[in-house]
Amino acid sequence: MHGTHLAVLLALAWAVVAMAFLHRRAKAYGERRLYSRPAGDPAAGVRYAFTGGLAPWAKESVRMHLLSYGAGMAFHAGVGTALALVLMALAGLDPPAFLLLPARLLTLAGAVGGFSLFMKRLFKPDLRGLSCPDDYLSNFLSSLFILLALDWTFRPGVAGLWLAEAAVLLVYAPLGKIRHCLFFFTTRYQLGAFFGRRGTFPPGGNLHA
Amino acid sequence: MPELDELESRLEALQEEDFQRGLQVFRSKLRAPEASYLNSCIHCGLCADSCHYHRTDPCLENIPARKLELVTSVFRRRFTVMGRLAPGLVGARTFDREMTRAWVDAVFGRCSLCGRCSVNCTIGIPLPRIFRAARAALGAMGLVPSDLQATVDNSLQYGNNMAVTKEDWVETVQWLEEELQMETGDSQARMPLDKQGAGILFTVNPREPKFFPLSLQASAKVFWAAGEDWTLASDCGWDLTNYGLFNCNDEQAGRITQNLVDAMARLGCRTLVIGECGHGYGSARWEGPEWLQASYPFQVKSILELMDDYLRQGRIKVDPARNALPVTLHDPCNLVRHGGICEAQRRVLHQVVTTFTEMTPNREHNFCCGGGGGQLAMARYKQRRIQSGGMKAEQIRRSGAKIVVAPCHNCIDQLMELNKEYKLNVQIKTVAEMVAEAIVPNA
Repeated sequence: MHGTHLAVLLALAWAVVAMAFLHRRAKAYGERRLYSRPAGDPAAGVRYAFTGGLAPWAKESVRMHLLSYGAGMAFHAGVGTALALVLMALAGLDPPAFLLLPARLLTLAGAVGGFSLFMKRLFKPDLRGLSCPDDYLSNFLSSLFILLALDWTFRPGVAGLWLAEAAVLLVYAPLGKIRHCLFFFTTRYQLGAFFGRRGTFPPGGNLHA
Repeated sequence: MPELDELESRLEALQEEDFQRGLQVFRSKLRAPEASYLNSCIHCGLCADSCHYHRTDPCLENIPARKLELVTSVFRRRFTVMGRLAPGLVGARTFDREMTRAWVDAVFGRCSLCGRCSVNCTIGIPLPRIFRAARAALGAMGLVPSDLQATVDNSLQYGNNMAVTKEDWVETVQWLEEELQMETGDSQARMPLDKQGAGILFTVNPREPKFFPLSLQASAKVFWAAGEDWTLASDCGWDLTNYGLFNCNDEQAGRITQNLVDAMARLGCRTLVIGECGHGYGSARWEGPEWLQASYPFQVKSILELMDDYLRQGRIKVDPARNALPVTLHDPCNLVRHGGICEAQRRVLHQVVTTFTEMTPNREHNFCCGGGGGQLAMARYKQRRIQSGGMKAEQIRRSGAKIVVAPCHNCIDQLMELNKEYKLNVQIKTVAEMVAEAIVPNA
């Protein structure tokens, strides 16, 4: 096993353990017992939060910023694809021929999306005002990871550099805002449960509606 | 303005133990959901356009993520490992005087806790839950704006937020009862006070007896037409408001809620009916049991649901031709987005007016009128309040309506100011006023 392979595996193990620790720490804050009578179904609210509630037509913020939304979606699809490619590389497998083109398209779109969001953060005054170094670092590491994954599909010789970068990314993930890959799900769940219980989600879901 | 100086002098007088106390209270308000929210924001900034403050004054300070960041940066510094090890990298900051000043400005002065950013957030962070914890922390440091706190103090001392005396309240009800009898031509029409065992205890916003008695009379007329078995309380427990929702002192909020619970027990009523008031409904229906840490032994309903029931059951007959002017509907945030009462008022209006036009956007996507979150009670932020109401004013103008129906007396106050400021030339009414107008007696 190459040193870079081992580094990625160790970094992956670190990321998983650290994320689990973060989750446990958040859970340790305790749950809130609720005494008011529900008007709707929290489970239905959660289902809506992860489906229709994410759709562009359900969110004005998305409708007004379709380009950023598209870049974000491409970015995340790119991260997912690059992670899948890393796992294949660690297993010593080459991407099957029929997946090569989709993988290249997804990583290309992801890299373009990621770096365009990086530039947007850098040059848009409001967004710059919202940002701390972690925002730039997290974006840069992820975007570079996708770009190197794309490069690897053309030039397997860059595997060493790509895997080293992947190890750095995985080590950093729980430390900075990439942790939202965990907390997105817990927060979205809570949002759905909250508005579901109150009968706001799904729209028209109030038992008394 | 003396209030400006007073709040600033309180900020200047803060000692280290005050900051520690604030942080302790902040921490005490956090549970697993909030811990998750505080780790979630990715600073994408897409929430900016969801906020009526930012839409009407697009500056960095008005972006919801910026307001949240002020709070999360303190959380990170104090409660996370990375915040302690590498504060510069992850944007962790100390809770000092400057940061406290920024918190006051953000969570009291630039947020009406409307929650529109929550449903538009990329992640789905319910920001008002975090801002309530921050307001509670500031409250523990003595930094609630004094006029907002005075409203709470009135409720605690007098049992209602406008310090209406029992004598004035009872006299007003008796006078309105005579008016109701004259209006209906029924000498038996009643506005009962302290009727033991009545099915319904009806609660109102003190603005009604004080400034808008016809609104209370309209509700009474609906009850009369439906033959409802109802009562008002003469003592504590007639006021539905609870500004504890806005100063975020849960102990005080609980004591105010207890007035309603005690009145229900005292009068032996089965259903607590909340008059047209967004935050009053949210407080009594949703937050009250949490503040008291106990489930109610009775049902809570909005009068909107009740009027919807009356129409469905045929208990009241209406003629929409009596409301011929075009009507639009404002969705109070605490009633609709946070309260889940979305459709009842629409079904009612469709039956009692001839032309009903929705504002756009509406329901859970509605814009706050700008008067929520206790903004109406905080004079120091009046200019921002009126400016932020520009979104609502524009919605009203685009609707082409001549009557704006708002099932919330706080919203009505704000809408009346917007009406003048933005020269909207509309009438502003409650749903009950529209129903009362449309009632066909003896049908």
